[in-house]
Amino acid sequence: MATTTEFGPDSGGRVKGVTIVKPIIYGNMARYFGKKREEDGHTHQWTVYVKPYHNEDMSTYVKKVHFKLHESYNNPNRIVTKPPYELTETGWGEFEIVIKIYFHDPNERPVTIYHILKLFQSTPEIQLGKKSLVSEFYEEIVFQDPTAFMQHLLSSTRPITLGAWRHDTDFEAKKESSLKSIVEARNRIRTEVIDLKEKLTLAKETIAKFKEEIAKISKVGGSMSVT
Amino acid sequence: MADVRDILDIEPPTTVELTKESILGNDKKNRKKYEYKVPKRPEGMHREVFALLCKDNNDVPPLFPTDTGKGYKQARAKLGMRKVRPWKWTPFTNPARTDGAVFHHWRRVADAGKEYPFAKFNKKVPIPTYTNAEYVQHLVTNGWTRSETDHLFDLCKRFDLRFIIIKDRWDRTKFSDRSVEDLKERYYQVCAALTKAKSNVDKVFVFDAEHEKRRKEQLKKLFERTPDQVDEEQTLLSELRKIEQRKKERDRKTQDLQKLITAADNQADPRKSERKPKKSSNSSRNRPNKADSSYFYRSATKTIHFQALESAGIKFPDFKNSGVSLRSQRIKLPSSLGQKKMKGIEQMLIELHLVVCVTDLNPPPTEQICQQFNDLRSDIVLHYELRGALATCDYELQSLRHQYEALAPGKTLTIPPILLPKTETEIKADIIDVVGSPSMSIIH
Repeated sequence: MATTTEFGPDSGGRVKGVTIVKPIIYGNMARYFGKKREEDGHTHQWTVYVKPYHNEDMSTYVKKVHFKLHESYNNPNRIVTKPPYELTETGWGEFEIVIKIYFHDPNERPVTIYHILKLFQSTPEIQLGKKSLVSEFYEEIVFQDPTAFMQHLLSSTRPITLGAWRHDTDFEAKKESSLKSIVEARNRIRTEVIDLKEKLTLAKETIAKFKEEIAKISKVGGSMSVT
Repeated sequence: MADVRDILDIEPPTTVELTKESILGNDKKNRKKYEYKVPKRPEGMHREVFALLCKDNNDVPPLFPTDTGKGYKQARAKLGMRKVRPWKWTPFTNPARTDGAVFHHWRRVADAGKEYPFAKFNKKVPIPTYTNAEYVQHLVTNGWTRSETDHLFDLCKRFDLRFIIIKDRWDRTKFSDRSVEDLKERYYQVCAALTKAKSNVDKVFVFDAEHEKRRKEQLKKLFERTPDQVDEEQTLLSELRKIEQRKKERDRKTQDLQKLITAADNQADPRKSERKPKKSSNSSRNRPNKADSSYFYRSATKTIHFQALESAGIKFPDFKNSGVSLRSQRIKLPSSLGQKKMKGIEQMLIELHLVVCVTDLNPPPTEQICQQFNDLRSDIVLHYELRGALATCDYELQSLRHQYEALAPGKTLTIPPILLPKTETEIKADIIDVVGSPSMSIIH
């Protein structure tokens, strides 16, 4: 609401009660050279990327993606304005990449994702450089009460490809298993909570009973000492 | 050069060569033109103050009357207004003295014949007297003879009721030694009896000798403590304070207990039923491979959620503000939670083998997963708190049992086995053993 007044009515105002969710995938691929490169000591080639989860063209609503690399890189601030939003580099170390996604409507503030660049994994095939390593994550961008302009952009996306849009990681399976394990864990915790609650109630009652007994016995003891 | 000439009002040099001497010479002449009478600055007066009084532009002095003229003078004492009162070397006697010795001192002539001014400080304490008849009628008691009482009153008169001195001067050859309290008791007893007899007044001073004795005894004990005893007392006091603090803490925890139990009840029942319809609507929304990924829904359903969450465990910040955000922000633990609980949650997640949540830090943040994950961690916090409360209860049960055993030797209270910590099996064994003995009373 504040942003509406801040930028004036020409931004189109916010559409109340509307939420649009755009799932995305971000992460990196990495491939080992098989040896340390002589000239700069780099060992891996990697690609960091942001891509839509579903088959849709993000450029309709994304203005640019800003990748901030480690400061030891030449001009560490890399900006990609067109899809695919990705960046390929070589290096020898892992570090945190700051990914900032800007939208076409300047009234919608950019979102920031922090990704730890992953190069090393203990699987032998990857170690030998035969297979490339993929470290990617699922994320959802939530547009709460988007501006009318943004809403228009968000709902007019087109597919990127006519073919199937696939990811290296099977996120549906991951979602399902995560949800399952979380729900299972919740049930377990819940039964334990109920168990604990019963114990606690019992403990409380027992404490009361003990106190009563002690009161009784100290009363008896008191009268005995009098006689 | 023209500027300088203008400033100094110098005639344009027609014939005179411009030298240092000529300028200075002209300068002197010009200065005479501006001369005015400047009063000389009094010595010791600050330049700034003087400038306020006499400006060098020859201003008229202020018309307002000021008293600055007197400012540097002290108000003088007015002397010599009265006649001198003569003094005289006169003899005097001090009425406090019984020997009638005569001394001399300087005195105003006007005061001649007046009493010695310090005589009024010679106060005498009124000590009651008694006659033979009175003594026989009112004052006879066990333990005090007439002569001993007389001796006491004599000393009282001589030393103005200073009982410490009276005790010191007590005639121990004639009478048995008396304590200060004894002396005081007898004195006030006599006084009270006499006042009552003479004036029928019930209001008399009563001296509680026993109380005085005890008081002094206590003071003496306090005074005669050894450093070791003082230290011991200190440690005991601090221990007591600690015990009281712990007791308070436990009481507080017990009070929180009921709250926790209610929270557990809420967590177990109403929220479950509340979530059901939501779940079904969610799953339809999150159907995989849905072509159109733009979901529209009302935020009304959400508010119920957040309210439910507040009642137990963690209060997650709610995301109702307009704008863009990442879903994963919603499963961030609020920093107000505290390190201890965060660690506890982490520990529990590991115990539950939630590898996804631990290794990747977070599960893939769909709305449903976020909700479930937050609820899970909320429950974990509740679990954590319940466990803590139960531990407190266990401790209290143990200490109550000890208390009971101390009060009634040979008897004990039985803590329900379900409440006993699993590790303390030997305690359990003890109880079973004791239960076997015939003199036992078992309480469940």
